Amino acid sequence: MADDLPEQFDLIVIGTGFTESCIAAAASRVGKTVLHLDSNDYYGNVWGSVGVEDLVRLLSSDAAPHSTLRNGSYTWHDESGDTSTSEGDEMKEETGQQWTRETVLAMSRRFCIDLCPRILYSAGELVQLLIQSNICRYTEFRAVDNVCMQQNGNIVSIPCSRSDIFNTKSLTIVEKRLLMKFMNACNDYGEDKCNEDTLAFRGRTFSEYLQEQRVTEKIASCVMQAIAMCGPNTSFEEGMLRTQRFLRSLGRYGNTPFLYPMYGCGEFPQSFCRQCAVYGGIYCLQRSVDDCAVDANSNEVLISSAVTTFRAKHVVSAPRYLPASRDCVMRPHLSRGLFLSSTPLGNEVLNKGGGGVNILRLMEGVREAIFIQLSHFSGACPKGLYLFHVTTPAVSDDPAEDLRPFAMQLFQNSAPEFVFSSFFTLTTQSQPNKGGADDAIFYTDAPSFEMDFYDAIANARDIFGKLYTDVEFLPRAPDVEEIVVDGEDPSALNEHSLPEDLRAQLQDMQQATEQMDIQD
Amino acid sequence: MEDYKFLFKIVLVGNAGVGKTCLVRRFTQGLFPPGQGATIGVDFMIKTVEVEGEKIKLQIWDTAGQERFRSITQSYYRSAHALILVYDISCQPTFDCLPDWLREIQEYANSKVLKILVGNKTDRDDREIPTQIGEEFAKQHDMYFLETSAKEAENVERLFYEIAAELIGQARSKDGSSAAAAAAAQRQSDGSSIGLASLGAKAAQSNCCGGLANAGGGSSVSNTSQGG
Repeated sequence: MADDLPEQFDLIVIGTGFTESCIAAAASRVGKTVLHLDSNDYYGNVWGSVGVEDLVRLLSSDAAPHSTLRNGSYTWHDESGDTSTSEGDEMKEETGQQWTRETVLAMSRRFCIDLCPRILYSAGELVQLLIQSNICRYTEFRAVDNVCMQQNGNIVSIPCSRSDIFNTKSLTIVEKRLLMKFMNACNDYGEDKCNEDTLAFRGRTFSEYLQEQRVTEKIASCVMQAIAMCGPNTSFEEGMLRTQRFLRSLGRYGNTPFLYPMYGCGEFPQSFCRQCAVYGGIYCLQRSVDDCAVDANSNEVLISSAVTTFRAKHVVSAPRYLPASRDCVMRPHLSRGLFLSSTPLGNEVLNKGGGGVNILRLMEGVREAIFIQLSHFSGACPKGLYLFHVTTPAVSDDPAEDLRPFAMQLFQNSAPEFVFSSFFTLTTQSQPNKGGADDAIFYTDAPSFEMDFYDAIANARDIFGKLYTDVEFLPRAPDVEEIVVDGEDPSALNEHSLPEDLRAQLQDMQQATEQMDIQD
Repeated sequence: MEDYKFLFKIVLVGNAGVGKTCLVRRFTQGLFPPGQGATIGVDFMIKTVEVEGEKIKLQIWDTAGQERFRSITQSYYRSAHALILVYDISCQPTFDCLPDWLREIQEYANSKVLKILVGNKTDRDDREIPTQIGEEFAKQHDMYFLETSAKEAENVERLFYEIAAELIGQARSKDGSSAAAAAAAQRQSDGSSIGLASLGAKAAQSNCCGGLANAGGGSSVSNTSQGG
């Protein structure tokens, strides 16, 4: 390929996963020259969303050398001769669609299947980052419809908001009072961590704390399963922190504290990449790296790709993308189950109007898993089909086996009409990757087991901080109305084109005007 | 509320160097050629036009250079109402790539999106693609067709005004068979998806968001110390 590209960059980023894209956008935003490469023909790597065809290809092929996905397997259920139709197929009748391998593959591109699905807290790190940086202009969200828990083998929605708690029929008056009281206590804890009532629980588990609050069994499991999302060994502090995170995200958008990105989590890397490109970053997909070396004299990193050798002050790479990192042993990290069903999970109440986005956290002893149901309202699959994601920290190299107890819990009482099911493992570095030159090459972490993107953002911030000290991470990108382009009408001067001192003056004036308004 | 009746998203695609950015800048700012590097940080341009007595806000998105190595993000195409596919009439390869672009559009854009084929640079005297060839290609692929010159400002206004007029027509007919009609309908029903930018401020005031089955002031627990 004749490139006609500059050969010198401040930063070369390899892999378009969430963390890499986030760093690329942040660097480009503050004026660094960025080259961003990915050997895949799609954005996002294991953080991306793919169509069914691409998914099947990923699961069946021998993994690409850089891939961190393995142990893939899949089944089409229409071929097993299993034609027994169960009763209660309203959904299917409604759409009149028979889902088979052919019909699904024909609509392959209508699916956005997350390899690594996440749910966002409405007041969480990523939402704040998107708003703060103005990258939110590229994204839309669906408010999660139901946060669920299991109760006597049934899946029920938990009451999230104050009015939900008042209105729910699943709690008694006494239970409602206890739950309110508990939630208030959690909120107060944030303001006064030295509160005497809670001080005593430092160093103990959250579960012990709950028991001593004299809440009922039902409420305890509701809090443990769905609100604090804790296990039996979760510390008191951690449990309180998570409960607060939940409570603070309530009442912002929709009825639950969670958001799901329209068209899947793969939109995030793409949004960051778009931002990077808007600020001059250069993008090449389907471009792998053949070699990587450090120039001993200039301390620059040399990246050879196809016929070109690029030079960069720094390189950030996803694990295994650089040839030097391929020797690194990868261990199983997340076991993933992915199902397509023509019926939603759970009863009518949970799936009003055809079903929305429902989440359920599952527990099995000390192990846990997160279940996410997506309907067509999420933009991630066509109408009449439901996408089920199950994720658990891997305990073996057999994802189906890792997920078996959770699949049992989920599907034993309400057997969905599966069209497709699949399993795979996402891996991570056994040891932190070490590049040739510690201060020039940085490796991002593989996806961790978390709901939101807290770890990933922390990882991006950390690496960015090492690359560029004392530089703001993703400052707000001005809206187009605020950008004055040279040659434009000089009377259209605005705040951003003013020198610092004048801007301050202008702000003072504006504040004065606002105060006058108030007095009026 | 801003003073416009409709907001339409228009995206441009086509090979690098065919003059996409020039078309946008000519239309929105009346400038040619664009200042060097001036587009850094500009995501999309906005121009409000008046068609048939209605104020229409056009949001025109450029590729941010990602077309150079065929690396346009899928999300670029999402929720576009109209799509302008541009080639350079003096450069055969840019025309030869059109089928590749159509394939990409087919895969990622809304199937009902309004498509316009534009042959740009009519000011050049080394034309390689006759008008008729462009016309035929557009006809074959169910697209509108226009030749423009961003340099001479020829047909540029017309291009965007015609798109605006067509989209209004679609939105008014509301037969649900076009992207614009669907968008207009969604705008009215308050939509089911949430944009953080628009709701950030609103949510802070009212503590709940529009369009979703809301529980009537689902306020956060911090305000409920008297609750229960």
